[in-house]
Amino acid sequence: MTAARRERAWAIGILAGLGGLAFLPLVARRDDVLNFVFLILLSITLAQSWNIVAGYAGQVNLGHAAFFGLGALLARSLWIGGTPIVLAMLAGAALATSFALVIGAPAFRLRGAYFAIGTLALGEILRTTVGNVLPEISTLPTATIAGYRLAHRYYVALALAAVSVVTVAALAGSRAGLGMQAIREDEPAAEASGVGALRLKLTALALSTGLAGLAGGLFGYYHISYYPSHAFSPTWTFDALLMTFIGGVGTLHGPVLGAILYIVLKEYLAVRWVDFHLLIFGALFIAIVLLLPGGLVQAAARGRRLFARREV
Amino acid sequence: MSVLAQQLVLGLLIGGLYGLAAAGLSLVFGVMKVLDVAHGELIMLGGYGAFWVVALLGIDPFAALGVVIPLALLGGGLLYSGLFSFVVRADEETRVKNSLLIGFGLALALHALAVQLWTADERSIVTPYGGAVIMVGDLAIPLVRLLSLLLAFLLLGGLHLLLARWRWGKAIRATAEDWQAALLTGIDVRRAYLLAFAIGTALAGAAGTLVSVGYSVSPSIGLEWTLKALIVVVLAGLGSMIGTFVGGLVLGVAEAASAAVFGGPYREVVGLVIFVVVLVVRPRGLFGK
Amino acid sequence: MLELRDVDAAYGDIRVLSGVTLAVGAGEIVALLGPNGSGKSTLLTSIAGLLHPRGGTIRWDGEDLTRVPAHLVVERGLALVPEGRRLFGGMTVEDNLELGAFAPRARRHRAEGFARVYALFPDLRERRRQLVASLSGGQQQMVAVGRALMTNPRLLMLDEPSLGIAPRLVVSIFAALAEINRAGVGVFLVEQNVQAALTLAHRAYVLESGRIAGQGSAADLLHDPHVRRAYLGPLAVRHS
Repeated sequence: MTAARRERAWAIGILAGLGGLAFLPLVARRDDVLNFVFLILLSITLAQSWNIVAGYAGQVNLGHAAFFGLGALLARSLWIGGTPIVLAMLAGAALATSFALVIGAPAFRLRGAYFAIGTLALGEILRTTVGNVLPEISTLPTATIAGYRLAHRYYVALALAAVSVVTVAALAGSRAGLGMQAIREDEPAAEASGVGALRLKLTALALSTGLAGLAGGLFGYYHISYYPSHAFSPTWTFDALLMTFIGGVGTLHGPVLGAILYIVLKEYLAVRWVDFHLLIFGALFIAIVLLLPGGLVQAAARGRRLFARREV
Repeated sequence: MSVLAQQLVLGLLIGGLYGLAAAGLSLVFGVMKVLDVAHGELIMLGGYGAFWVVALLGIDPFAALGVVIPLALLGGGLLYSGLFSFVVRADEETRVKNSLLIGFGLALALHALAVQLWTADERSIVTPYGGAVIMVGDLAIPLVRLLSLLLAFLLLGGLHLLLARWRWGKAIRATAEDWQAALLTGIDVRRAYLLAFAIGTALAGAAGTLVSVGYSVSPSIGLEWTLKALIVVVLAGLGSMIGTFVGGLVLGVAEAASAAVFGGPYREVVGLVIFVVVLVVRPRGLFGK
Repeated sequence: MLELRDVDAAYGDIRVLSGVTLAVGAGEIVALLGPNGSGKSTLLTSIAGLLHPRGGTIRWDGEDLTRVPAHLVVERGLALVPEGRRLFGGMTVEDNLELGAFAPRARRHRAEGFARVYALFPDLRERRRQLVASLSGGQQQMVAVGRALMTNPRLLMLDEPSLGIAPRLVVSIFAALAEINRAGVGVFLVEQNVQAALTLAHRAYVLESGRIAGQGSAADLLHDPHVRRAYLGPLAVRHS
């Protein structure tokens, strides 16, 4: 099976799995199961959104949390004010994308590592500013808390995760996606053959930050109370990075696998050690960058080849 | 008026530490194009190391530098041999990208380790003279921070001499300029990289020690100090230790000025804004070659 | 005694050298001629250890040099003056020369090394505290040759030493090379200025498209019709 066919099979499989998860609220007795799966679904969306710029346009964006935060900020404000949540989330995503496009053109003038640390700085600027302008905790009005249904959040998360997977699948197969991969492999050569690098990178950035903004809106919808600057914390970026890289950057199912593994490990280890999952993931991340840049997906492919050879 | 002057003096005092923090990062990046974004975590570890050296040996924290620096040299050598020596096998652009990613993983792991070992609380080394203040007219200059500034200056001056006069110092500078030409002159470039990284780590350890005396350490200061170091490196450019020191002072004073004008919470922002502007407009920095 | 046998070299997928076999005897001056892009630089880089050959062997005094790292090649007594000189521009003449004596083999003889270099290039003694970046092309070339000499070599390799240098200075550099050779150091020279190269050298090889296309004594090659047409005739305008 070719890689493209395999990816399509994965896409269908993941969407089927998500479809199956739609029945979970009907059978789950306890809220913490739903919360746990919610977290996984949010993480899948977050990881896939980061994957678009890193995996398909080849740039490491360390300011990703800024778009998550902007989406959360606007969506939550609008929703508390009475806008239907879906519209509010879309508005949040629009804000995130607009900001991205404004900084995108100058940012992409920076190469590789400078783009990474530049976006990191931008993210921190936003976080500090928001933290100063809105230092108080944001809590839902009592009436809203009374009407809070976890299941609603759950279904939005499910839908969003599905959207993120479909987006990446559509992108990978499209002409834009192929152009982006050409840029990632060898930008000067791609430019020379007529691929408009900046336009494609901006497209990737727009998609990536739009999804991140939606994820942020979901986050704002989910929490009863939260500090607005928390959504801008670089931990969201780092989580997305870890999940995507460990799963397999630039693949469809890598970020999904990475997200599941990350959240499962985090919840499992958090029982006894608070941040220990980060120690493991940090070490794993280093190992992957040095030894296995394609992440778990590459490891699986190697395992498959090894197995196939032995059979013959 | 004197409030502003007081703020500026305090900014100048911490600026020296910014310069020291940046020097290690600058040296390593200049010599081998490795961007170790875990540098802030190394500073944090230096601070904790100093804290424990003082607690266990009962010596003065400034004297503890005599223990922390050699330990950090050794640690840096080990870290290079065990991790970053693999990164330098690739070409320059891949090196920078990989070192960024690896530094990131390392920072995460070290941060989690520190939280496990020492909890998330802030710690500070307390000295009998900790509260002492030198009065210059209306200005109050904390003695400990002044000593730290002087030590930072001395350390960087010493480093400058080391690079200018010591045989391996020259070899390190040559390697930074043109590693292939360095090889052709008979310099073992891998050994130069190892030395540069060890020295860079030692500088981080020293900076951490001074931070824990004059200010405080906690596991979370890593990212903050990495950013400060990056800002100064981009501001001052590579290749000059004196330039890096001055760049640190500039950042410290700029922060103090912006805190005075816009209010305390915006202290952090000005450095980051300068950073982004210089990156986009003049990536070589103000002093760089 | 340098011996190359069947050396293949490549950059990635691009094959640059194929089956190169040549030798440079002790105390000889040998020139390597050929058109641009024929692989002459690659050959020197491979011998110097900056590039590992894909096939074949390089032997120096009978010992295998093929996979030895560059800084250890210097320790064995081979020094390369690379194309474009590659000096440490931010450092002084003296520092550049001193770094030449970095390897243990050279360190013991550092004082003599300095004496030798300053005797050959008196200009450098005057400018020894000057930053190399501020020197002229010709003076920089002298520093480059001097730096390689400081490594106390038995074989000195040079890649296009006359490139970008005023003709008057080319003459003095080549005179210096002759003197270095008289003191017992072998010289292996890649050079576009075929006239000057063949006047200085004892023997020469011609490299075309990564293969040895001809060899012989310098005198013979100077009169060879193919060589004359390709490298010395009116079509081959390079230097006077």
